[in-house]
Amino acid sequence: MIDIKAATYQWLILLMLTCLSFALAESGFSGSTFILPVLLATFAKGCIVIDRYMALRYVAGFWRLTILAWLLLVLGLIWFSFTRV
Amino acid sequence: MWFFILAELLVFGIFFISYAFTRSRHVELFNASQLQLDRTSGFINTLLLVTSSYFVVRAVAAIQTGYGKICSKWLIAAIACGAFFVVLKLLEFAVKINAGISMSTNTFYMFYLFLAFFHFMHVILGMIILGAVALKAWQGGYTTENCDGVETGAAYWHMIDLVWIILFPLIYVLH
Repeated sequence: MIDIKAATYQWLILLMLTCLSFALAESGFSGSTFILPVLLATFAKGCIVIDRYMALRYVAGFWRLTILAWLLLVLGLIWFSFTRV
Repeated sequence: MWFFILAELLVFGIFFISYAFTRSRHVELFNASQLQLDRTSGFINTLLLVTSSYFVVRAVAAIQTGYGKICSKWLIAAIACGAFFVVLKLLEFAVKINAGISMSTNTFYMFYLFLAFFHFMHVILGMIILGAVALKAWQGGYTTENCDGVETGAAYWHMIDLVWIILFPLIYVLH
């Protein structure tokens, strides 16, 4: 059963993290000190969607781990490619 | 359904990584082209998709407690967010087309237009799926014991949201 109060808090966190990424981009920051917080915010948002909204937190095993691994791999490779130049 | 979602995520993941590594060889071109994008539009679209996902969660919660019509109303709210997303995206595409920009303009725009349009088509499909689920829920086609259709449609919509959550910083924010 879905906890509506928790889902509402998670939605507010998603909105706040989106605003944080946008504010960082608008503030003119660049480089690795800017890339890491944006990617960490993206990872946190992805985890909320996967674990809570897709409800995979309650499904032990393959699907949750695979989709979380996909998120980590994609964001890790993006971080690597952006910081190696 | 999860096989389908995983396949979709793998395809998007390959494109994201291709974009990132191609950018590392054309940093100045990608940064200059990115400045021409409407970041505010991308930001609003992110808020819309995140909010639509929350509405879909509310729809699933409603059907799990036996409220088909309320489920349908939450799904219609989610579809409305999707429709705003589509309108903003079409406006963004129109501005680029009017400026003479196409996939052959440069490598950045090849990736940007392809990724944005590919995701755009998924949003359209997701709205159709949610629409079909909303109609069936309104007609009493789901019960608390049999609501797999709602949960499956919800999972697909969350996948579209998840992809955009990465697409937004990758294309509009990171430089």
